[in-house]
Amino acid sequence: MTSTLPPVVEPQTTRAITTRGGPRPPRRKPSVGRVIAWIAMIAVIVVTLFPFYWILRTALSSNGAISADPTSLLPTGFSLGGFERVFGLQSTKEALAQGGSGAAINFWQYLLNSVLTATMITVGQVFFSAGAAYAFARLRWPGRDRVFAVFLAGLMVPTIFTLLPNFTLIKSLGLVDTLFGIALPSMLMTPFAVFFLRQFFLGISREVEEAALIDGAGKVRVFFRLILPMASAPIATLAVLTYITAWNDYFWPLMVSYTDSSRVLTVALGVFKSQSPQSGTDWAGLMAATLVAALPMIVLFGVFAKRIVNSIGFSGIK
Amino acid sequence: MATESPVSSPLTTASTRRRSRATDLARAGTTSPRRRPRNDLWLALIFIAPASVGFAVFLAWPTVRGIYLSFTSFNLLTPPVFTGLQNYERLVQDSIFWHSMAVTVEYVLLNIGFQTILALFIAVMMHRLTKSTFVRGIVLAPYLVSNVVAALIWLWILDTQLGIGNEILSAIGVGRIPFLQSDFWGIPTIAFINVWRNVGYTALLIFAGLQALPEQVYEAGRIDGASEWKMFWRITVPLLRPILSLVLIITIIGSFQVFDTVAIATQGGPANATNVVQNYIYNLAFGRFQFGYASAVSVALLIVLSIITIIQYRLSRSGESDLD
Amino acid sequence: MTNSITRRALFAGGASALALGALAACSTTGTPNPRSGATGTVSYWLWDSNQLPAYQAVAKAFERENPGITIRITQLGWADYWTKLTAGFIAGTAPDVFTDHLSKFPQFADLDVLYKLDELEATSGIRDDDYQSGLAQLWKGRDGHRYGSPKDWDTVAMFYDQKVIAKAGYTADDLAALSWNPDDGGTFERAVAHLTIDGKGRRGDEPGFDKTDVAVYGMSANGSGGDGFGQTQWSPFTGSIDWFYTNKNPWGNRFRYDDAGFQKTISWYFGLAEKGYMPKYGVFSTTTGPDVQLGSKKVALSFNGSWMIGTYANLPGIDVGIAPTPTGPIGHRASMFNGLGDSITKQARNPEAAAKWVAFLGSAAAQEIVGRAGIVFPARRSGTDAAVAAYAKRGLDVTAFTEQVEDGTTFLFPVTRNPADVQALVQPAFDDIYANGKPISTLTGVNEQVNNLLALT
Repeated sequence: MTSTLPPVVEPQTTRAITTRGGPRPPRRKPSVGRVIAWIAMIAVIVVTLFPFYWILRTALSSNGAISADPTSLLPTGFSLGGFERVFGLQSTKEALAQGGSGAAINFWQYLLNSVLTATMITVGQVFFSAGAAYAFARLRWPGRDRVFAVFLAGLMVPTIFTLLPNFTLIKSLGLVDTLFGIALPSMLMTPFAVFFLRQFFLGISREVEEAALIDGAGKVRVFFRLILPMASAPIATLAVLTYITAWNDYFWPLMVSYTDSSRVLTVALGVFKSQSPQSGTDWAGLMAATLVAALPMIVLFGVFAKRIVNSIGFSGIK
Repeated sequence: MATESPVSSPLTTASTRRRSRATDLARAGTTSPRRRPRNDLWLALIFIAPASVGFAVFLAWPTVRGIYLSFTSFNLLTPPVFTGLQNYERLVQDSIFWHSMAVTVEYVLLNIGFQTILALFIAVMMHRLTKSTFVRGIVLAPYLVSNVVAALIWLWILDTQLGIGNEILSAIGVGRIPFLQSDFWGIPTIAFINVWRNVGYTALLIFAGLQALPEQVYEAGRIDGASEWKMFWRITVPLLRPILSLVLIITIIGSFQVFDTVAIATQGGPANATNVVQNYIYNLAFGRFQFGYASAVSVALLIVLSIITIIQYRLSRSGESDLD
Repeated sequence: MTNSITRRALFAGGASALALGALAACSTTGTPNPRSGATGTVSYWLWDSNQLPAYQAVAKAFERENPGITIRITQLGWADYWTKLTAGFIAGTAPDVFTDHLSKFPQFADLDVLYKLDELEATSGIRDDDYQSGLAQLWKGRDGHRYGSPKDWDTVAMFYDQKVIAKAGYTADDLAALSWNPDDGGTFERAVAHLTIDGKGRRGDEPGFDKTDVAVYGMSANGSGGDGFGQTQWSPFTGSIDWFYTNKNPWGNRFRYDDAGFQKTISWYFGLAEKGYMPKYGVFSTTTGPDVQLGSKKVALSFNGSWMIGTYANLPGIDVGIAPTPTGPIGHRASMFNGLGDSITKQARNPEAAAKWVAFLGSAAAQEIVGRAGIVFPARRSGTDAAVAAYAKRGLDVTAFTEQVEDGTTFLFPVTRNPADVQALVQPAFDDIYANGKPISTLTGVNEQVNNLLALT
């Protein structure tokens, strides 16, 4: 490796974000401030995590026992009925007897739909927004900044504004009740994605790019071979964020899907919740459904936790 | 754009490694240097094409159409009828609209206020107290669930009779509070639910910004004997300004558009206490078939968001990073 | 991560995303409907999952008699039902037939998205007399055409736990003989007071009763009632004075919330919460309805509609009894008489087949099948009888509901234009009274706003 720069002081590599180097301060007696800070932090962690435990506890209880004994920390009237109802494993009669409603979640189908939709949106949005961001950040062309300002203005448009016209458009394209129809409006770009990536592309060292260009590489090649790999961290971040957002989208998929073939997990959850207009809520079943709907994201997170958590960042932003 | 100091940008190290690669790359392309085109217009158009199509078709056109519809009376099933400024006249006199604006502003202030402060606190804790990725993961966990799920969880926990939250409150003597059914507690509770969901993500963003700050400044501070608290105020906050302003811009805009949580938890009640603007618009359009008027209210919201964004942008411009 | 892999991965990802998209788009199956005659698929929507099995049985019976037609039933939860229906009207994806509600159908009729049933062959023969009296009339538009075929009916009564009532010294007959009035509440209020027990075990009519610490309320609460004309809240009371919501029904255009007698009744009703006999607003969340309140033994008398009979019967540990609503100053008791109906949308690709389905739904055969399932009271008399028998088999005496119909002490659900706009004005007003203690006289102002609204349309 040839290097014409003076040696750079470590430790600022991407990996260093996990364990920040530098001289450790001598071990001090925990000050009052530190103790208070730890207490506060623990309180935050408890408030953050408790609801998840509570969902689990409720999902494993039975509805009757829940009304009778709302405080027990462990599942009361332990029963897998909630989950059975969610997966459609109970007959309508059984379900009604346990305070449920006989509706079920066709889980695997909805899971697949959610995965397909979120993947389509993420791949499309990140890729096309990266291209646009590059054009705004590094290419020179007349009106560039003005067009970018217009793109940015899109951030301010309330979602409700675009809902109905998009719906009528999807309908006239014949894409109602299809996964592609759900994915299409956000598959090409969002102002946030373009903005986010442009910030990073701006922060990428010009010198490297100049060097490549002087040596004769075309801008397209520079984009694919140089810029994208260098921005892999923010791109990964954006991809993760986009995936989560697309996965959790509720209202738009609700409008577009009519049958199981295009129903996603969040919509299925909403459907499960609103089954009976009149009888009391099937809390056990609802919490089980909530857990089931959130589980794929949580599993994904558990597997990729380190990478995801570390990739959220602004490093290099100017 | 400031010049990079050798320690500030993590990309600097990468760039030294890549410099040689770049040369290799370029050489692989052609043998002789090409004249660089003065203007990248055609290239830019290609790069920008898909995103522009997306923008024009799914963002710009609906906005224009929405603005047009705000001057009409439109029930979604028959063609719109032009009515001029009638919707806007009605808007100005509509007490429910003004009330919903007030409710939304109250929500935004509470939500953003608590979220930013809490996120800052958590970020600093993660920076100075513990480096554990595990803690970071925990803090981010609520962000993974959808707004719908978050609303349902808290609806259950805060249930007046059966929720564990109120059981605890009544056990310690405070008495049960109808969190989501009180015109006093309604909005703060919704704000809290959204803070619970979003604070982790915001905290991580700020934390990343903290990471980019050079350790030297803190070393210097510590050598000079400054306390953590003082360092926080004198060093951290000023240096974080650009990050904070970016985070604020994004979160405020999102906050104004709160809808899912309200739709699930309170449906705007009781007595319009939680009837935020987007909820009002939704009910007008899809419940009462008054899409023309709903569009007018949407335009009002759009104007408000634009003003706020412009103000924020101006304010943040004045705060260049103090690092450079 | 090498450059080439990145680029390849990106392209592969992009291509596969688009390919997936295309695949997903192509995989949608539409509903091929042959043009000719009354054959094909008819789609039907309903919201109550409890009724799904019964209607599936009805569909099978129908398909046996009409071999060319397939019925496809979709059940959507209440909250999403109307959203999807509206979206369906706009997108052209609405169902052929759907369960309609009196608070929604006027809007749909105005928007001209429903077929006039009297203009379709199979349903032109529907006769009003086939159904419980008054029901079929409600489904006729202002133009006199029929837009819905009566499906079922419901009334309101008081559910209670027999053991609790016995402990308080009442019998079922005592409850059936209660009467109320807006001045002192009558024997009804005395009963409710006696049934209320505070945290120290004192009853509501005993000295030292602490209304701030109530353990068991005498009667249930179900919100302010502003969203449904007080059907399960105050309508049994306002219905048993000489008063009705509008100047005429259906299609009245002036509301009468400014009536002095009405306001006095409402004042008395919400006053019960002030006295501690009824839960104040917010004590029970919107998800804890009167049934759960009874089930968790927090209330003694639980007002609810006949569609909830099955739910109450399933409450664990409760011996459920049903009493009719108390008699009022008008000299008899009263209950709101509501009914659902089936409507055909103009998007039905095969209106004649849809009409056949609707006609079958309204027939004695179908309604008896539904009745036997014991979930609701079908609109036809024979269907009602089947339901009563089915309930009896489960040990439930539902006379409290049926006697109001037989004695003619019911009043019909008010049908006006622009029901959603009316509700948007009325509901917050009632919420304000119940939740925030606003004075009853605010209803006079709201009444005027509503009347202005109706006058404009």
